[in-house]
Amino acid sequence: MTNEPKWEFVPHQHKGPAQQKGKDDHILSPKLHNGAFKSAGLATFMGAPYCPPDRDAIRSIDARICFLGVPWDQGQMVRAGTSQGPAGLREASTQYFPYMFEYGVDLMEFFRPVDCGDIPIVPGNNEKSHEYIYQYVTECLEGGAKVILCGGDHSVPIPGSRALSDFHASGKIGYLHVDCHLDSAPDWEGNPNTNCSGPARAFDLPNCDGSNMAHMGSRNGLNPKDWVDFWIDNNVRLVPMQEVVDRGIDVCTKEIFDIAWDKTDGIYWSWDTDSLDASCMPGTTAPETFGIKPREALELARVAGTYGADIFEISELCPQYDVSDMSTKLVCCMIYHYLGSRAQTLRKSGLQS
Amino acid sequence: MNPAKNYDHLFSPLGDPEDFKTLGVITFLRSPQVSMETGALKDSGARYAFMGIPYDEGNVGKPGSEDGAQAFRMASYEYFPYWFEYQVDLEGHCIDCGNVRIPKVSPELAHERIYRAVREVLRSGLIPIICGGDHSISIPASRALSDHIGEDGRMGYLHLGAHLDMADSWAGEKMTSPCSMARITELPNVHPENVAHVGARNSMNPKDHVELAESRGIRFFSMREVIDRGIAPVVDEAADRLWSDTTGQYLSINMNVMDASAAPGVTAPEPGGLESREVMQLATLLGQKGAPSIIEISELSPVYDVSDTTSKLAACIVLRLMAANCKERGETVDQSIKRG
Repeated sequence: MTNEPKWEFVPHQHKGPAQQKGKDDHILSPKLHNGAFKSAGLATFMGAPYCPPDRDAIRSIDARICFLGVPWDQGQMVRAGTSQGPAGLREASTQYFPYMFEYGVDLMEFFRPVDCGDIPIVPGNNEKSHEYIYQYVTECLEGGAKVILCGGDHSVPIPGSRALSDFHASGKIGYLHVDCHLDSAPDWEGNPNTNCSGPARAFDLPNCDGSNMAHMGSRNGLNPKDWVDFWIDNNVRLVPMQEVVDRGIDVCTKEIFDIAWDKTDGIYWSWDTDSLDASCMPGTTAPETFGIKPREALELARVAGTYGADIFEISELCPQYDVSDMSTKLVCCMIYHYLGSRAQTLRKSGLQS
Repeated sequence: MNPAKNYDHLFSPLGDPEDFKTLGVITFLRSPQVSMETGALKDSGARYAFMGIPYDEGNVGKPGSEDGAQAFRMASYEYFPYWFEYQVDLEGHCIDCGNVRIPKVSPELAHERIYRAVREVLRSGLIPIICGGDHSISIPASRALSDHIGEDGRMGYLHLGAHLDMADSWAGEKMTSPCSMARITELPNVHPENVAHVGARNSMNPKDHVELAESRGIRFFSMREVIDRGIAPVVDEAADRLWSDTTGQYLSINMNVMDASAAPGVTAPEPGGLESREVMQLATLLGQKGAPSIIEISELSPVYDVSDTTSKLAACIVLRLMAANCKERGETVDQSIKRG
């Protein structure tokens, strides 16, 4: 059958005269050359094949995960740099195999991921940039894939959650915000769509109830009173960092995912890199002390993988403030552990091969 | 031209290329510099012999570990030989043999020189503290220990690191750093029951590494297990394997066993690893079990370090292990000694 969907993974750096042709070469030590480790070439996330962000193209090759970069950092008011986040993450992923021994899974084979490149943005135009984000995310969702969305500043969830809301227009969605900051400004100097208002805009969506929203990881003094009032007054679950420390990351993660998935058809999960402690995440827009430790982050990702999310967004990754790639590699591991755990969960429940 | 003057300094090194990288007499813990010869080593009366191995041509990722030993020495300058937690004085316990002379792009010759240097120190009855360099240095160094204890001996091997390093070969090469544990577990007097690996995590552990480890019966304590059970019980169990009926013990500390936030100055930093206080406890526990026959530090890459965090941590691990062992042997400082 000529129209049979075809998904082929041959890393570009393996092509040419020294091409390795074994089916499982991507999860084994290289046989002929150093692979991606020093010949990263044209880096894609996880070395996945490129696919145009087009619903038909995505559907035709049956990709289950689409990676989208959002090089947008003009929706934030702290310091610029997160526009380079997707590039940093792709680069970090060249240091890893798509095989995870902790879960016994080949992410590449299981999810058939594709990298849909970066969403085009318009400098100085938040509205237009957000519109493009909305359109590109919609293409991936309509293509039947889950989305790994890498920001970009934390205004990204505003168009991202709107896309999910419209995708599930006849149903309900949940929204999770893991962050150092509460990000619930009604507006910032009159602008309602900055990185200070992700959850506030999600709350405005017609099919996203406060009872399906939660925040985790908030701490320190960049949380003005109106942001706190939003969560309290609307009776939305707020898990501050102190509670995470007291009760443990796994318990708290389970609670927020239970909230988001309670009678909903899909969820948007936004994970700001500044939720992590500044000691392990220097490469972020607004590093903050007293945050999540690396091992807690990987545990969070593991637990999250048992639930899943339609859109898993990572934001505020700034490679230029990073040290020895520790932040980009940590974000890469957070995504890989999430996917590893997700694959393990799906396999156990017989939902996917 | 002045016939009385030597003009060698104008040219590419004519003899020993090592001179270019040697900054003068900076030694581990300000200890005496002793040449790598049996007689001199024996006469030193020391227990440990430090040597640097500026070799990173066995790495498959980022370079930089060839400068590890020098940063390690510099870090040791920030410490006294007196360790109050253990009430011990390490003065006189160690010497510094300088760096092994490493040729460029000649891995076989480099490994051979590492082998000979380690063998020489072992023959002299001292404990080599070898500081890489990439992790492939443990291949010749462990072979030296294996040959030293002979066919009738049993060798234990404890590997701390984020990666299993169990590649049968990497791009066809058998002596690179991801092959280190694969080669060591092939040594005739290394039995699987005397091998342990602590700290494996994340996906720089391709499928063939895990399968080779399992097929050889290698016990690896993943980071997940370390976190679930706590560092002390895991170290106890791992150290028991190292010491159980063995005549030689090789301790390999790849600095990437540490969480990237605690040790940024490594070749391949990995999130989710050991925290500083855990590795300090580990060093004490290992020192209490005994002094291994070889202590190796590898993958320390000062070029990526921040404020000497990683090199000081590396020095601290080794010094703490030495101090804990010193106390275990009862060699504590007379408390009546006061400043005059």
